[in-house]
Amino acid sequence: MFFSILILLQRQFISFSNQQNNHLIFQILNIYKGSFGDQKLRTPPLMKSRSSNRRNFLKLGIATGATALIASGGNVLSAFTASENKETGEKIKLLTPEGKLVEVDKGHICCQPAGNLEAREGLPDKKMVMVIDLAKCRNARKCLEGCQKMHHLPPHMEWIKFYLMRDSEDMTPYWFPKPCLHCNNPPCVKVCPVGATFKRTDGIVLIDNDRCIGCKFCMAACPYSSRVFNWEEPKVDQNPNQAAYSPETSSPPKMGTVSKCDFCPDMVRKGELPNCVKSCPNGVFYYGDKNEDAVTNGTDTVRFSELINSRAAYRFMEELGTEPSVYYLPAVDRAFDYKEGFEGLTEEEIALYKTEANITE
Amino acid sequence: MYEDEKTQQNLYAFKPQLEKMNKMGVALIVFLLLVIGVGVYALYIQIVDGHAVTGMRDNVVWGLYIVNFIFFIGISYAGALISGILHLLRVPWRTPIIRMAEMITVISTMIGPAYILLCIGRLDRLPNLILFGRIQSPIIWDVIAITTYLSGSIIFLYLAMIRDLAILRDNPVKNARWRNPIYRFLSVRYKDTTKQKELLNVSTDLLSIVIIPLAILVHSVLAWIFGMTLRPGWHSTIFAPYFVIAAVYSGTGVLIMVMWIFRKIYHLEAQITKIHFNYLGIIMIVLGALYGYFTFSEYLTSWYGSIKWDMEVLYRLFDPTEYWPLFVFAVFVGVLVPIIIVTVPKFRNVNSIAAAATIAVLALWVKRYLIIIPTLETPLLPIHDLRPEYAHYSATWIEWALTFAGIALFILLFYLFSKFIPIIPVVRSGEEKDYSRLRKIVFEKQMKKVIRQNKKSDRVITGMIILLMIFSAPGVLAQDENKIQPLLKLDYFHVDSIHNLTATLRAKVEGRFTPLEGMEIDFKFTQGGSEKSLGTVLTNEKGKITLPIPDDIIATGGDNGLFSFEAFFAGKGNWEKASAATTMKPLRMEMSFFQKEEEKMVNLRAFELGKDNQWVPVENLDVLFYVPRTFSLLKVGQATLANGSASLEFPTTVPGNRLGYVTLVAKVEENETYGNVEVNGTINWGKPLPVTKIIKRGLGDTNAPLWMVYTLIVLLSLVWFHYMYVIFTVFRIRHLGKS
Repeated sequence: MFFSILILLQRQFISFSNQQNNHLIFQILNIYKGSFGDQKLRTPPLMKSRSSNRRNFLKLGIATGATALIASGGNVLSAFTASENKETGEKIKLLTPEGKLVEVDKGHICCQPAGNLEAREGLPDKKMVMVIDLAKCRNARKCLEGCQKMHHLPPHMEWIKFYLMRDSEDMTPYWFPKPCLHCNNPPCVKVCPVGATFKRTDGIVLIDNDRCIGCKFCMAACPYSSRVFNWEEPKVDQNPNQAAYSPETSSPPKMGTVSKCDFCPDMVRKGELPNCVKSCPNGVFYYGDKNEDAVTNGTDTVRFSELINSRAAYRFMEELGTEPSVYYLPAVDRAFDYKEGFEGLTEEEIALYKTEANITE
Repeated sequence: MYEDEKTQQNLYAFKPQLEKMNKMGVALIVFLLLVIGVGVYALYIQIVDGHAVTGMRDNVVWGLYIVNFIFFIGISYAGALISGILHLLRVPWRTPIIRMAEMITVISTMIGPAYILLCIGRLDRLPNLILFGRIQSPIIWDVIAITTYLSGSIIFLYLAMIRDLAILRDNPVKNARWRNPIYRFLSVRYKDTTKQKELLNVSTDLLSIVIIPLAILVHSVLAWIFGMTLRPGWHSTIFAPYFVIAAVYSGTGVLIMVMWIFRKIYHLEAQITKIHFNYLGIIMIVLGALYGYFTFSEYLTSWYGSIKWDMEVLYRLFDPTEYWPLFVFAVFVGVLVPIIIVTVPKFRNVNSIAAAATIAVLALWVKRYLIIIPTLETPLLPIHDLRPEYAHYSATWIEWALTFAGIALFILLFYLFSKFIPIIPVVRSGEEKDYSRLRKIVFEKQMKKVIRQNKKSDRVITGMIILLMIFSAPGVLAQDENKIQPLLKLDYFHVDSIHNLTATLRAKVEGRFTPLEGMEIDFKFTQGGSEKSLGTVLTNEKGKITLPIPDDIIATGGDNGLFSFEAFFAGKGNWEKASAATTMKPLRMEMSFFQKEEEKMVNLRAFELGKDNQWVPVENLDVLFYVPRTFSLLKVGQATLANGSASLEFPTTVPGNRLGYVTLVAKVEENETYGNVEVNGTINWGKPLPVTKIIKRGLGDTNAPLWMVYTLIVLLSLVWFHYMYVIFTVFRIRHLGKS
């Protein structure tokens, strides 16, 4: 008992951003994991192999400060997964911090899911934010469909939830889609006993389902009910393209652990928008990098600062001090009547929404 | 040693407990094992099928298990506080009950944490608590606090047992072949010499001083698991003392119950007398009154403040169809009934006090249920779920089975332990005898006074609670079978001196455009009636295909600088055939940056391919300027070319990379004559990214803030230093026994 406590305390004095320590600890962990027959803990690829190619590539300093890179199809990428990949022969242009364009093999850049350790770091120089335009939402739920399809979620597992909000009795209700808010002061991360959920430098809050012990404290701590639990062995169609588990893809889900909306960092690495943004027929979701001061809903790309200032955006329950990364544009000049959102819902569900919003008619 | 009459009498009285087990005892053990067996089976199901077999769901993430956890840790207080305080105050009547109290502590501190393990989804990953433990998390506080507390309680119990172990060593127990060597080993050669006696007394005193603040801390930490969250009904500053008081209250109750049971089964009427029940009953009702006061304060504050979410929880508790009956039992019955039974002399006897204690213990269990479940059922955002088990918690048989298994295990361990060592200390130390008579008289007088005062204060408290009842009661109610015509689009792109043709094939399915993947598209170049095939390519998953135009085609110069291309889709399956054509003129654009009197400018020049393959400046062409961002291009300006040239102010407010480098893209989009032409340039005129300071220590980081680490180290070293000292003393006692 006493020695366990000593180990715990001693850990406080190890800096985890230090790679050498990481290396040592990972060696120990691999032994431990092996003996328990659990999932393999992936050695961070940065340490596993260092071919001369890779080293040269890293020397370019792109890893630390790449901003924009222009790929052949006009696609814009700005970060990449530093994982072990074969050369594909296909070249991609990258912009170094010094403003030089260099050509890099595509195989170095995508598309392996990030390992557990890199997934903890966050994409360099990014700060992901989302803006949700409540004036355009009519509860079509396409975002949820897209999300569930992409993450291979069982039908009842909803990472985006829909509420019919009514701020006071005299006001008309409005639809309120709510993904994880990726708070900058996340109550869930504070209480995690093992650091299985963590806040990254790019503002994304992720869960490492290989480390989570399933105590559900984060679920109790989250004031926004954003987290869901895998109560039983998840019955999902296996994703054939899924190579290995990564906290960035959150799939495949694991029984007895917590999951939630992950802001799709794997898509960001590929320079693609998350499925919720792409699937929304009304362009409700804007997603982007605050450091680039730009958000996009797939069709429009706008300055983030202009959008939130001109539309008087707010953050949900700001008074809790959680500092969410998701901004809401108030439902002014609505594009739809809230009743249109009842289309396709069952009688029971409509009744439930009406009780929640105190609608008596 | 210990030749005094009292000890010999005790030994004679208690030894049969250790020597034989009657039929009732065997039946009890078998029954308890059966109950535990059902619990083990339930646990097996839970591990195999996952937590879905319990009543816990996404909103009510914790259920009966955590209620039992708080309950067992709560009753562990009996030993720590009751025996610690009574020992330090040298209260004369403590001796017969002190071991029971300590045993309650040790056994319930072992069973309690087992319940928190049942809440954990992945038991196989428990070592992570040590490997990755973050001391910012209240769960880790709990792990540390409970292990420390359990260690301390075991040492405390052991110290109090040494004298009896020595007696049992000197008077071997019959039918206990394997137990006698254990007695011999554990008695550490204690011979009651002056030096040994002194060492033992000092250690016991020391540990009882340490164990009291430790016990308070343990239950505070437990309360903070709930208090630290932003939940209505939990996020309360008085939660820690509230939990502590409720815990001592229930601990005293359990102690009275245990006393009553052992008094019955071992016929200990001579040792555990009415006076013990009376005194403990009085301690219990004082704690009960305090608990009532805390409850009143807690609910009055949230009701008066009437924050939306607090009120939602209160409405739940006060709703007759939901938790009102339980609330009445936990708060009114659980406080008032024990107080009335103990304070009214007519009702006060051994059995009624035991009944009062039972009511208090049950009420406290229900109170824990009311603290956990209604709050979890009332998140800040409404639970929007049609499945009833997600909206309301109801425990399944698995959870009940494990609850009863825990209680059975508690009783079983207690019973077996009482077969190992007398449940009442055999040895009476001399010091107590000297004081006992005198203290008894003084204490009784004081107690009588307390009772008298208590009656008065009870009346006030009762009045207040009745008032609360009166005030709160009214507030309570409150696809087609036909072929589909796909859409083929052909675009010309000119990016960085590379000429491309891009074809996009889409079809409208159920009102939405979907890309067609894996379709063959033929590309053709037409010039003066003659056709030249450029090849056939398959579309990708986005329904798109990009084909570079060979340089020799551009070199032909086209029809006076005009080039015509065609794309053709032959149709496949449900899809009709489709075709598209485009005609364009090559356009060359050049971007340059220049600075004019502090103003940073971008200059764009454009030329088209004129006659005789000459590049000539373009007139009246709209050009859009973009900055590439992660997902898309951000528009930053536009200009119209006049005489082949246009200038634009550089968008200096656009963030670049850390050194301020920004790529600017100039585009001509879907122009009738030129198609899509693009050119880009990079310069460090953007807003450099601020270098963000990364905080390495904090509540949300891997490493805890230093003050937290130091506080923990100081507290733990204080406690563990005492433990080490006491263990060292035990070895000294053993060493002294040699000579």
